[in-house]
Amino acid sequence: MGAVAALIALLQTRALAKTFGGVEAVRSADFRVERGEIRALIGPNGAGKTTLVSMICGRIVPTSGRILFKGRDITRTQAFHRAAFGIVYTFQISSVFRNLTVHENVAIAVQRRVMRRAWDRIALDQQALASEVQHALAQTGLAGLGGRLAGSLPHGHQKLLEVSMALALQPELLILDEPTQGLTREEIAAFSRFMRAIAEGTTILLIEHDMQVVLDLSRRITVMDQGRIIAEGTPAEIEANREVQRVYLGP
Amino acid sequence: MNDHRRPVLAIHAALIAVLAGLQVVIPPFHHTLVARIMVLAAYATGYNLLLGYTGLMSLGHAMFFAAGMYGTGLPLLYLGLGAPQAVLIGVAASIVLSTAVGMLTLRTSGVSFLIVTLMFAQVFYLSTLYFNRFTLGDQGFVLSGHLHPITIGPIRFALTDPAVRYNLALATFGGCLGLSLWLVRSPIGRVLVAIRENEDRTRLLGYNPFAYKLLVLVISGAVSGLCGSVYAVITSYVGASFAAILYSIYPLLWTLLGGPGTTLGPLVGAAAMTYTVEVASRFTSSYLIVVGGALVILVMRFPSGIVGGIRRRWAPWLP
Repeated sequence: MGAVAALIALLQTRALAKTFGGVEAVRSADFRVERGEIRALIGPNGAGKTTLVSMICGRIVPTSGRILFKGRDITRTQAFHRAAFGIVYTFQISSVFRNLTVHENVAIAVQRRVMRRAWDRIALDQQALASEVQHALAQTGLAGLGGRLAGSLPHGHQKLLEVSMALALQPELLILDEPTQGLTREEIAAFSRFMRAIAEGTTILLIEHDMQVVLDLSRRITVMDQGRIIAEGTPAEIEANREVQRVYLGP
Repeated sequence: MNDHRRPVLAIHAALIAVLAGLQVVIPPFHHTLVARIMVLAAYATGYNLLLGYTGLMSLGHAMFFAAGMYGTGLPLLYLGLGAPQAVLIGVAASIVLSTAVGMLTLRTSGVSFLIVTLMFAQVFYLSTLYFNRFTLGDQGFVLSGHLHPITIGPIRFALTDPAVRYNLALATFGGCLGLSLWLVRSPIGRVLVAIRENEDRTRLLGYNPFAYKLLVLVISGAVSGLCGSVYAVITSYVGASFAAILYSIYPLLWTLLGGPGTTLGPLVGAAAMTYTVEVASRFTSSYLIVVGGALVILVMRFPSGIVGGIRRRWAPWLP
């Protein structure tokens, strides 16, 4: 990485906005994520967090503004290309392939990464693929569940499967939308440990309601309210911020 | 998964062997009927790639079937080409048509896709009638006299010989079944199933659903065109009735009956339905009521079709 690469943010949005009908879900968001950080994105329900990351991963087309990934304008880039570039999103409501096995779910993700040449679409080394799937499942502790139907797993395991699929793509920017929602305390603790290990090689953008998880993982926090980014800084700065206090505690 | 590779291939090979053997034991009437069923089952096999494996329900496949049929029949009639060249033209016509139709219709999905494909097929059907002077659509035309024997090396194949027709049908079915089996077990097949199960998720994993759906629609259209073409050759007849909506509904019904998303379902469905019609029509002229009743019961009791039910109960490894 040269000096120039260090200056360019991994992800940057400029005056990014999304209007649904008359509702301004996101208003002029200027947002930067640096390479290697775990960034938390917090805010009350309806603040526009999911809309913002949905524009970043390409599920939603912005009304105005720009999105830059590694300095390159991806505002008009199709979602599937962004996933191939390394922007990977995990859904808030777990969205695994319910009728397929756990193994098959991860295989679909692994296959995307290893399929480079046209020929791979026709013939791929299934043995090597299977061993990569095993490795990905072992990472999230799902190794023994490969043969189960994804839809039959308990909620917490489906979330972990979702993360396994995302990691199988080896993302550069991993966007996690409320990953700990519905998990038990023990599962959350294990998840945090796991995220720290992942963050060694991947930048993470984390939408999270559980402040314990946020403070545990992130050194920088971005706060949204009513479609705007109202504050950004270290946990201490965010705690001291008057506007954040107003949003969370009332005037 | 790999430990099941052998039984899967063995079962499909055994089926082809049984169909090949059948021609020496069955009486002439069934001989012709089975030959037709095999071509129609191959047609449903192509349809099943779209419905069963990709989750797209088309009601317009008759246009691809008829494109193959007319693409073969008209050059035979007007240009006096040999049958192999005419079949190639038929397949090419269906590829061109399915590419064009796919580019437009795949902007929609679900019920809209069903309706839009139906509309395109109706346009195609009405065109075959409108340009009647050229297509001879309303009366149809027979190909006898236009099917010249094919010579391969020292052997001459007369296309009017029932044995040649049977084996042509068998080769068509075997080829389409092999293509289907290979495709659904290839990396492409895995993506198709992913699109069927959850298109949005598949897109966010980095796949372009449109490109995959277009690819499978063109393959499905080409298979349908090939079957329409071969059907014209083995029955010596080309007519607009094959472009009508009934021939779009048939592959849908056969696939649903046999088991959508199973490689063997289309043959089972086509054979079961054709023979039910055959038997029922001996006893009553309103045989379609019998067929309809049978379908209602099957869909209510076996929503995953005959082969789908077998797979769920006894053989989860069936492709």
